[in-house]
Amino acid sequence: MYLATCRGNCSIRAISDATGISSGYLEQLMIPLKKFGLVESERGVQGGYRIARKDITCSEVLSASEGEFTPTPCQDCKQSDACKAHQIWSMLQDSVVDYTQQVLISTLAAHLVEAEAGGGI
Amino acid sequence: MKVSTRGRYGLRLLVDLAEHGSDQPVALSQVAGRQDLSEKYLQQVALLLTRGGYLVSVKGAGGGYLLSKTPEQILIYDVFDLLEGNISFVEMPQKEETAIQRCLRIHFFEKLDEKVKETFDGVTLADVTKAEWFTYII
Repeated sequence: MYLATCRGNCSIRAISDATGISSGYLEQLMIPLKKFGLVESERGVQGGYRIARKDITCSEVLSASEGEFTPTPCQDCKQSDACKAHQIWSMLQDSVVDYTQQVLISTLAAHLVEAEAGGGI
Repeated sequence: MKVSTRGRYGLRLLVDLAEHGSDQPVALSQVAGRQDLSEKYLQQVALLLTRGGYLVSVKGAGGGYLLSKTPEQILIYDVFDLLEGNISFVEMPQKEETAIQRCLRIHFFEKLDEKVKETFDGVTLADVTKAEWFTYII
């Protein structure tokens, strides 16, 4: 989200300062984000990371960094056809996935910029 | 967010009692057999559900558990909240919340919790036990 507010490339150090996430952990996070095409990186003096697209959703980021959202370990369960409680988990999963697919990182970034401009933080 | 074993067993226990229950108490050993769950663990969950006012325990021979309300009166979200303690995604702000954490809390996690709550709004145990309910949700 921080990257979405940056115009050019951001160094790991700058991202770490803004997010409070350690640079070592950021480096690790960038690996799947790069692999899924959500961030791009450039080497060199002016290098760093930048967001790859404007239309990235929260769902894409969460899937890349955490894997698919599964609230229960029922995927491999043999009883899932017969188990009525299973419907509840599907409902929970769908609700969360739907929501995260609707929220754009750029929308969150706009809220962040707005809050900073308003001095609300 | 992961649903704990307690949450999963608890809801399966209620679903089982709603489907097989009558005026007679149901022994947990029967539920354990039907659902292929550990009876010992079910006992712990049943205790929690009894304290929460969802089950009534009947002692003695032929004893077991009964739903204390009709399945229509039992809201899934409330049961879930009781079993899990807290089912929200949002975490209490730490002392030093960064601008980004604050923004995510207000504009993402709090709204996500509202969304989940809305999804389960009015959904009762009776809805879950009805087979047709599944088709219209999907």
